[in-house]
Amino acid sequence: MTLNVEIKRYNPEKDDAPHWESYEVPADPLDSALALLLHVKWHIDGTLSLRKSCAHGVCGSDAMQINGENKLACSVLVQDLVDNDGATVKFAPLPAAPVIKDLVIDQSRFFEKYREVKPWLINDNPAPEKERKQSPAEHEIIEEATKCIMCGACTHACPSTWASPDYLGPAAMLKAYRYTFDTRDDGEGERLDTVDSENGLWKCYTIFNCNEACPKDIDITRWLSALKRRSAVTA
Amino acid sequence: MASRAASTSNAQSWFLHRITGTFLIFMLITHFWVQHYDQQTATISHDVLSTEQIENDVLPGYTPEAEAAVEARFGETAEVTPYDVVMLRLADPVYAVLWKAFNILFLIVALHHGFYGLNNVMSDYIRNPMARKTAKVLSWSLALVLLVVGMYSVLVAGW
Repeated sequence: MTLNVEIKRYNPEKDDAPHWESYEVPADPLDSALALLLHVKWHIDGTLSLRKSCAHGVCGSDAMQINGENKLACSVLVQDLVDNDGATVKFAPLPAAPVIKDLVIDQSRFFEKYREVKPWLINDNPAPEKERKQSPAEHEIIEEATKCIMCGACTHACPSTWASPDYLGPAAMLKAYRYTFDTRDDGEGERLDTVDSENGLWKCYTIFNCNEACPKDIDITRWLSALKRRSAVTA
Repeated sequence: MASRAASTSNAQSWFLHRITGTFLIFMLITHFWVQHYDQQTATISHDVLSTEQIENDVLPGYTPEAEAAVEARFGETAEVTPYDVVMLRLADPVYAVLWKAFNILFLIVALHHGFYGLNNVMSDYIRNPMARKTAKVLSWSLALVLLVVGMYSVLVAGW
């Protein structure tokens, strides 16, 4: 099949504003959406910029807006996007983030928020000889949250992020959940002080866009609700 | 679980928003049923005023024009809870305490829920910190005014 691939292009050195460009791309229904972009870059227009690394849904580099929804380009198949020859697939950078070029966004703000929630183990007790142990049942509480690959699809799908650029966003707060509910961690107080703030948990209105966008099917809203309850009982 | 400095926390407001939301579901149903649908079951006492007093229109009812307008819009079988019925309920020396307490709680719950929600919306759309603070102070001041006016109306009605 041949598809009409539309890409939102923007080169800050040349363009005043982003604009759409169309390309005819031969495709197989079992191709990934990323394959369409790579065809454009390798065979039609080498100036197209995009991020990708593993291309297997592990690194989280190629999160972007595909046909209006935030997805990982490598993890969605053509047959799940369109079903007829000549159909259109639209690619745009993740919304609510500054665009560096074409599909590449500036992620610095996203990772600043990530660092704010102290996404590391806080435990001042001397480490045991081998390792800090955790039972399977204790790990189960945070198991799903550990699957986050920090692709940013959720945070940039959240209307609270669109409205308030300073809002911590689901990705960072999911990390806060992941460490706060980790039985080996002692940093609950300082982490909750960060998320229990004007730009934190309370701007989550349980819209569920994050759940829809997550390529790892993490039930983010559920874990943020658990974090809200923990914040409420410890405040 | 570690306890934290509560001064900067917004958790209580969020928690109250959940509580008031739950209350509102039941209170709204009760309010609509009692106030707008089933006037007879809700009429607590006929003893407050004598039948003569009611017949002589001691308490004001709807004007003929208003009743005609309701009939024109909703048909001849339409019923409107008479003003008298509401006033009677609020004039009863015993049950009025219950209804006044209900209405005041309803008022507090609705104002908190509504204005917390409004402040969420405003904090989403107002970027400037000073403007945001001003909007917050103004909106909660308005809530306070509405609370005072509402409580006054509920308390003096019928008494």
